[in-house]
Amino acid sequence: MASTSKVVSSGDEESEEEEELEHFDDFTLASSWERFISEVEAVCRQWLADGPKNLLEKGAVHLGSSKNMYKVKSELKYLLKSYGMEYYFEVNKSGKVTDWDSIFHDLQLCFGVKEFLVIAPQSASGVVLDAPEASKLLSAIAIALSNCSSLWPAFVPVHDPSRNAYIGIQNLGTVFTRRFEADRICSQVPVKLMHLEGLYELFVSKFAYSTLDISMHIFKVRFTMKLTYQTLPYDDDDIREVDAENIESSEDRGGNSNNKTQWDDDCPWSEWYSAEDPVKGFGLIAIWSEKMVESSLEMAELENSSPHEAEKWILLPNISDGSKGNRIGFASQLSLLVEALDMSFEAQFMEDFVSAVENPSSDNLKSMVIPSPTVLDRVLKDLLLQGVKIPDFSKGEHKSSRYIKGAPLECLFAQFCLHSIWFGNCNIRAIAVLWIEFVREIRWYWEESQSLPKMPSNGSIDLSTCLIYQKLQMLAICIEKKRELNEDFQDCVGSNDQSSAAIKEDDRVVEESTGLQIPDDNFDRKRDSLLTAEGLHESGMAIPRHNGKPENTGSTDQKPSECIRRGSSGAVGSMMLLKSCQSMHAPFTQESPLMTEDMHEERLRAIEVSSGSFDFSAQLERDILSADMSAFKAANPDAVFEDFIRWHSPGDWENDESEGSSPSGNLAVDGLKDNWPPRGRLSQRMSEHGNLWRKIWNNAPALPVSEQKPLLDPNREGEKILHYLETLRPHQLLEQMVCTAFRASADTLNQASFGGLKQMTMKIDQLYLTMASSLRPLQANTGTSETIEDLRRLCVVFEHVEKLLTLAASLHRKFLHAPRLSEAIFSDYYNYYLPKMGMGSPEEVDVQKEFEMKLQVRNHERQVISNMFTLPTANQSWRKVLSMGNLLNGHEPILREIIFSMNDHVNGSHYATHTPSVHQKEIETYRMYICGTSNDLRVALSVTSFD
Amino acid sequence: MDSSSSQSEFEYLFKLLMIGDSGVGKSSLLLCFTSDTFEDLSPTIGVDFKVKYVEAGGKKLKLAIWDTAGQERFRTLTSSYYRGAQGIIMVYDVTRRETFTNLSDIWAKEIDLYSTNQDCIKMLVGNKVDKESERVVTKKEGINFAREYGCLFTECSAKTRVNVQQCFEELVLKILDTPSLIAEGSKGVKKNIFKQKPQADASTSGCC
Repeated sequence: MASTSKVVSSGDEESEEEEELEHFDDFTLASSWERFISEVEAVCRQWLADGPKNLLEKGAVHLGSSKNMYKVKSELKYLLKSYGMEYYFEVNKSGKVTDWDSIFHDLQLCFGVKEFLVIAPQSASGVVLDAPEASKLLSAIAIALSNCSSLWPAFVPVHDPSRNAYIGIQNLGTVFTRRFEADRICSQVPVKLMHLEGLYELFVSKFAYSTLDISMHIFKVRFTMKLTYQTLPYDDDDIREVDAENIESSEDRGGNSNNKTQWDDDCPWSEWYSAEDPVKGFGLIAIWSEKMVESSLEMAELENSSPHEAEKWILLPNISDGSKGNRIGFASQLSLLVEALDMSFEAQFMEDFVSAVENPSSDNLKSMVIPSPTVLDRVLKDLLLQGVKIPDFSKGEHKSSRYIKGAPLECLFAQFCLHSIWFGNCNIRAIAVLWIEFVREIRWYWEESQSLPKMPSNGSIDLSTCLIYQKLQMLAICIEKKRELNEDFQDCVGSNDQSSAAIKEDDRVVEESTGLQIPDDNFDRKRDSLLTAEGLHESGMAIPRHNGKPENTGSTDQKPSECIRRGSSGAVGSMMLLKSCQSMHAPFTQESPLMTEDMHEERLRAIEVSSGSFDFSAQLERDILSADMSAFKAANPDAVFEDFIRWHSPGDWENDESEGSSPSGNLAVDGLKDNWPPRGRLSQRMSEHGNLWRKIWNNAPALPVSEQKPLLDPNREGEKILHYLETLRPHQLLEQMVCTAFRASADTLNQASFGGLKQMTMKIDQLYLTMASSLRPLQANTGTSETIEDLRRLCVVFEHVEKLLTLAASLHRKFLHAPRLSEAIFSDYYNYYLPKMGMGSPEEVDVQKEFEMKLQVRNHERQVISNMFTLPTANQSWRKVLSMGNLLNGHEPILREIIFSMNDHVNGSHYATHTPSVHQKEIETYRMYICGTSNDLRVALSVTSFD
Repeated sequence: MDSSSSQSEFEYLFKLLMIGDSGVGKSSLLLCFTSDTFEDLSPTIGVDFKVKYVEAGGKKLKLAIWDTAGQERFRTLTSSYYRGAQGIIMVYDVTRRETFTNLSDIWAKEIDLYSTNQDCIKMLVGNKVDKESERVVTKKEGINFAREYGCLFTECSAKTRVNVQQCFEELVLKILDTPSLIAEGSKGVKKNIFKQKPQADASTSGCC
């Protein structure tokens, strides 16, 4: 290229005068080529003058592939052809090209340059096909660049686009010029060039026979290598299976016969669905740092070394975004349930949805598919199957679970909800069918007095749960009581009575009356045994006193038979009866009856409407009061109404003086006698004429708790509950189902182990709180169409958390022995994903870049990674003929990149003798970048030479 | 109509509802019917309920009878019990005219408002006929109202037990005459998924 002699300016670019002169445009002798050069020059000057900072402001385009790269473009015309000239530059100019782990532009990597120009025709192929045209273009740019004393390298794409071929030139000051050339062989790579040995020789051949100017020593070459490995993708069979299951899951979940295990088989959600593994695989980059190589033999040895000998390992997780396509999971089903809730307002009864087919007005109902009876049968059996052990009702519970008015995960109703969302496609008709059959089954358990499966049949009613759960628990308790009554009825009186010690102690006092025990005796056994410890303790104090001074107690030996004390739980401190000199005994009483939320409300409203009249509230409490009075009468046969008030409602008894000088229970019996009878009177409201309490007292028979009619009539309450279930309004059912399904789904996911990843834990905590606040309007029955919108948004939030959790669980199980890696990957993904979570609606499709991360692996973690590269199966390995070295567990690298380079000391120069220091340095004379595999080879060479 | 001894066997489950002003004797009627006793009961709070197994028309039945509170202030509480009732018994006191007029002014409207089954059988019952001397509503008036409103009619006394059994029996027989109500009643029939034989008709209905 002799054209470089056309340099306009002199070599002294530091002179400012020269700078000004350069602005003089002379068109007198201009040919079209020269005009083209000056055009290029003008653009370059502009870019040079602007500098990266201004160019950025002027709208330089960021290159997606690399972090700091930007480009600007300008269009030029030459001989009816138009060209595009692009200037690529980095904002952050630090970093060496040989740092493999940073991201480079292809040309940077190929030729070891930083900023550069590319000029290409504006044609379909975008390459210069004509060799003379290419060199002409290149020389034009070289002249232009040298005119403006720029050291930018310039490249022109040549040949066929698929070859990725370039030629290029760079002016290195006055002395040296660097020339570039790159080309590629896409197939039929010569065997010699498949191996490191051959590639080394290829590089050496580039300078071994070149001109003698360059003083040559031995072929000491710098060498560095980067190998990329990839874990095997799923076998085709695996993929097919996953697909098959996804299709199946909508109709016939779980009934599949294949025995293949899924990755998430032991994850808590696998009971309901199988998630696609978000971790698609891993890439591994192994880097051999720069070293000197002297012979091809050394190269051969290198090719035999294992990747474990590489200096650096970098992990590239391949994580699918999963945002494409409909992901099946709890979130998708919950959103269907929300749609069902929306529809539930359209009918009065669940039955209406089932029979809606005959109704011509409901076209969209007709399209809803109800799963076949066999599926229904299987789901019901699964739902009602009584486990051997009582489920753990706190399983999976999050600390905020209780803020959501749902039901414990393992209980019958929560399981019903989870089954419903996977039943068919969770449309309102399918739900209606399942519910009606479910209630019919519940009725069977009731009529047959069989224990309800998956429900606790004791304890108190938890008012923080949803009403259906409360009702079912109440029903379970009623069934239990009914069973006890029936058993006692059949076993008849006095058989093996397992009554607790407390009852026995009681019996000793009662003595002959034991034979009169009535079936109901067992009714409150549970409560009695609860009281045992306390009762014994108390009587332990009381009994010695009885024995020591028998004359002072109401002992049966001394009293006529009607005064037999029955059902006493022990004396009440030192209190004495008013009308007979006996200590007052507290009776065992019935617990106040269990009530569900609606019963409490009903009572409250009843009290409200009665405007708090004293008698009326007594009326409400009548049954309880009467039972307590009966028990008190039985325990204190000689007691009067005033005695009962003193025990039951001390506030209604006004003492004339402070009662007893020593009120403790240990006081001497003599003292008791002195203080008897206690003096005082009833309060005004208790002494009014016609007082209801006194009326009830007069009518109450003396009956110990064991002989009383139970306050909770299990037959009545049970039947009421079934009525409730059978006539429940669709929207009321769906509201409770939505709350419970959200909570149960979250509780299920909450059981997943993900190694306690910080962000995940936080996200789950947040989800519970969001659910609690979004679901609150449903609990208060104030749902509106706005609520439905809120719930739809909640589904989106749920989906995000579910997705993240799947990833967290997947990472956790893969990196059990290298938790740092799972934490780092999750943390990176979380930060990448977080901006997407902010958007409420799923429609806002993001065009953001794919998740990419590079994570350096520490030495002790290498084994974990290495284990992921399982030995290829026979099936997988026959497909490929291994022809490269550096195998990792039998895996060939998918990409091998090598950089050879050759440096030389250059002392002095022919031209610039007056500035020797500038050139007194080592410069890279030859550089070769080789990239590819055994059958795809790309080589880029840069050579520096004197001109 | 005989009380069935076996508790757990029945072919149909019917729900009956008793309404009417406070103090007309609904609870007494129910108690008289279910346990053959008469007590002076305190006012009902909310809703009470009794079950009776009977045999009528050759069928074994389970009757679930809801006894609602007559006081106006509880009326909202009891509206849910209209749902799914196959029979409604409207009770008035023959010695208190307002209990009779309220049936048309208030209670009949309640039925229209809350009842969900159009075929539901209604029965008008005049109670306390034992107090013949204090009677202010004549039998003729009762019959006229029943005719106008399209329901069964009887007069009875919970105290003397006159006509009580017959009143319930007539209502049940009428329900058994109504196919749509029988269909509803058979829904409550117990069924257990683990005990039933494979359904023969399962394949025919599972077309979708």
